[in-house]
Amino acid sequence: MTTHQDIPRGPGKPSARERRLAELNASAPEWGRIEHLATIGFGPSLRVERFRLRNGLSILSCEDHSAPVIAYHTWFRVGSRHEREGKTGLAHLFEHLMFNEVEGRKPGEFDRKLEEAGAESNAATWLDWTQYNIAIPKSQLPLVITLEAERMSRLVLREPQVTSEKEVVANERRYRVDDDVEGSVSELLWATAYTRHAYKWPTIGWMKDIEGFTTDDCADFYKTYYAPNNAIVVVTGDFAEKDVLKRIQHAYGNLEPSTIPPEDVQPEPPQTEERRIEVQKPTATDKIAIGYHGPAIGDFDHAAASLLSEVLFGGRASRVHQKLVRELEIASDVRIFVGPFRDPGLIEIYASAREGHSAEELLTAIDGELERVRTEAIPEAEIERARARIELSLLAGLETVDGKASTIGFYEAVLARPAAAFERLEAIAGVGASDLRRAARRYFVPARSMVLVRPQPRGLKEAAE
Amino acid sequence: MSALDAAAVAVSAPASRNLHVETSRALPLIAITVAARAGSVEDPPGKEGLARFSSRMMRRTAAGMKAQEIDTRIDSLGGSLASDVSHSTTAFNAAVIARSLEPFAALLEDVLGRPGFAESELALLRRETESELIEMRDNDRSLARRFFRQKLFAGHPYARPISGTIKSVRSFEGADVRALYQRLFTRDNLVVACAGMIEGAQAEELAARLSVALPSGAALPDTVTEPQLKSGRHLLIVDKPERTQTQILIGSRGTLPSDTDHFALHIANTVFGGTFTARMTREIRSKRGWSYGAYSSLPYDRRRQAFSMWTFPKADDAAACVKLELELLTDWREKGITKSELAWAKRYLVRSHAFAVDTAAKRVGLKLDADLYDLPPGYHENYIERLQAVTLDEANAAIRTRISSDDLLVCVVGTEAQIGSAVRDSIANLESSEVVAFDSE
Repeated sequence: MTTHQDIPRGPGKPSARERRLAELNASAPEWGRIEHLATIGFGPSLRVERFRLRNGLSILSCEDHSAPVIAYHTWFRVGSRHEREGKTGLAHLFEHLMFNEVEGRKPGEFDRKLEEAGAESNAATWLDWTQYNIAIPKSQLPLVITLEAERMSRLVLREPQVTSEKEVVANERRYRVDDDVEGSVSELLWATAYTRHAYKWPTIGWMKDIEGFTTDDCADFYKTYYAPNNAIVVVTGDFAEKDVLKRIQHAYGNLEPSTIPPEDVQPEPPQTEERRIEVQKPTATDKIAIGYHGPAIGDFDHAAASLLSEVLFGGRASRVHQKLVRELEIASDVRIFVGPFRDPGLIEIYASAREGHSAEELLTAIDGELERVRTEAIPEAEIERARARIELSLLAGLETVDGKASTIGFYEAVLARPAAAFERLEAIAGVGASDLRRAARRYFVPARSMVLVRPQPRGLKEAAE
Repeated sequence: MSALDAAAVAVSAPASRNLHVETSRALPLIAITVAARAGSVEDPPGKEGLARFSSRMMRRTAAGMKAQEIDTRIDSLGGSLASDVSHSTTAFNAAVIARSLEPFAALLEDVLGRPGFAESELALLRRETESELIEMRDNDRSLARRFFRQKLFAGHPYARPISGTIKSVRSFEGADVRALYQRLFTRDNLVVACAGMIEGAQAEELAARLSVALPSGAALPDTVTEPQLKSGRHLLIVDKPERTQTQILIGSRGTLPSDTDHFALHIANTVFGGTFTARMTREIRSKRGWSYGAYSSLPYDRRRQAFSMWTFPKADDAAACVKLELELLTDWREKGITKSELAWAKRYLVRSHAFAVDTAAKRVGLKLDADLYDLPPGYHENYIERLQAVTLDEANAAIRTRISSDDLLVCVVGTEAQIGSAVRDSIANLESSEVVAFDSE
């Protein structure tokens, strides 16, 4: 399988691409000169071309002519890690505001025009990045490039819209966190596991911070982080490279770069002892969330930790599912999540007890399985099962142009390697029992954090009966 | 070379008559769906959830194997296999890395044709399903959908909870499961769809193998009648403590693909609540900030399903939001949509259709739908032309004919003590109001 490979350009006669770029650059706007930096294999049959405008805008293009559609994603290297105490949730609120009003257009026109073009669009903010994704029929690409370039530089921020959008985000928070047991427990776990690093606050922000944002906060954030030199444009699908580059050059070529401030993220000090908290929630059964400090996505052991999580929790044949759900019948659901973040994130375990069973029983059983992988070598057949699950998941995620753009954009944003998904697959193919045992011993340590959830006593059911 | 790798392998039985194939060599991946034309509507009275339970039993007991062995084999082949039950269909949706097609096909044969239905697994799944039903109570959105359907379609098979109830699941016996399996999984009751890196001949062979594995038998007759809904405005509050937010579903009778105004109503619904800039989102989210989302939907089935509006404002805004939604509904019904809205919706629907057919799996999915839901001939093939042909008068007549603002159900999941009185007051001409505990089933 082809992996990440920067193909060098040799001396001699200019290539067809070099001639095309020379033609484009002959009449380029001030900041629009395009440079081709690399050709990178993306799986067995596709390639990612890496370009950059003079203003620093990164462009990653991946032609795929299997359907007459295109995905156009814009990733900004800003997420909740760039916020500070008292202003948490600003990156996410700002993501919402990016859909409101642009100079010269009516409020809401951005979405209206995109929908009229038949587009599917959305956005997401996380710890390390913010991304805007649009998928469109191929004929509508010029509109999308224009609209995206406009909102990168000419967004209008007014008080009524900021106020209304704060309400929307507060409602999103109620939906995803406050009224959701798992959402609220996850938030609490991260806030317990981190004491200094910016990963300790939730991307959606604390409610009091959401309520306190001003229009000036938003304008400052926009001015600071929304600039071409902090952005990555990913285009995948049925297009011609020259046409796309010409349009991007025209749309973004007059945008000046800005000075992106250096990050001010504090490293998380090592956790030296277990932190355990207990809460009551309106739920029928006990739950438990356990957080182990895990690897950053660029860490050598991230692949091993991911494979180990599949052995333990991936699917119904996994060890923990077999033990807790089928054999002991003490859990209704068990899950794991290995954080794919630039800095070390959490390996987050979540389990929900069946009626009559406790969080402590879940913990004892999970601990037993974690101890096994620390002490006993995992048989190759189990590792192979886990590998196959990861491979299927990667392939399934690449079926659409949108899936390809997401994969490319994500790995570029966190690792600056757009084909790293395939590198990971190769790395995982090479991970063996020794690596898994090392990862288990490195990460599943006593100094962990956990949230135990108890059902909140109430009189409703009794009253109803 | 495996049997399925060879295009000209002799087959010992005719391939299924109901086979759809979409070949694509874009990825080394194959999607396979095997679906029966019946789902939870076949659950016997008191045995709600049996179709879903039975399909899960098939997946866990194929050829007398242990569930763990089956799961391990599926995973190790780079495959996935999930059973998915709706009111009208029972489907096994599979995906597999192309190199593993042959052994995966053999496993699929075992799942479909040789389920063991071991008693020990049956008891285990009963307890597991019960715990899942308890767990589901944590999800307010699922609660809203479940109670909404039960009340709206009361007395009709569409009211049945597909997952069953704790009481019904506890009653499942091996004989129930075997009887339902024998009714649903017969040769002529199945449709097979394959997409991805699989050629037509390979798919034919796969379908033939699956067909041979099954007992012969006629397709099940569809005996489900049209649902009759209650007249008047009714309110159901699903009382759950400590809710900062509510889940609101408002709905009534919807559409049928065979309706002459089906496409006209589809366009009108797109204007009303079908997209992010439709009237509902604009009024509820963009102007007032009351909810993260606000949409209306108009799904199709073999019988008339529900038209529904969904949003989730904070508890303090719930009553005002219900009132606003009813005003929007009345306004939509009485004044209709405008010419420019019609033109906009057509452009949106026609252009975005590209994303209904951009992968082989989606394309074959449309063909499968046509079979499973008895769609009129050419439904998907002529989709764009049918949309383009809708006039403004037809769209507005469709709303008036099909959508009622007088006969409807408002279902709210929230804390009764906090919202109940205000929500009741917000609904004019309310004929009945009921409060049920969220865990009353």
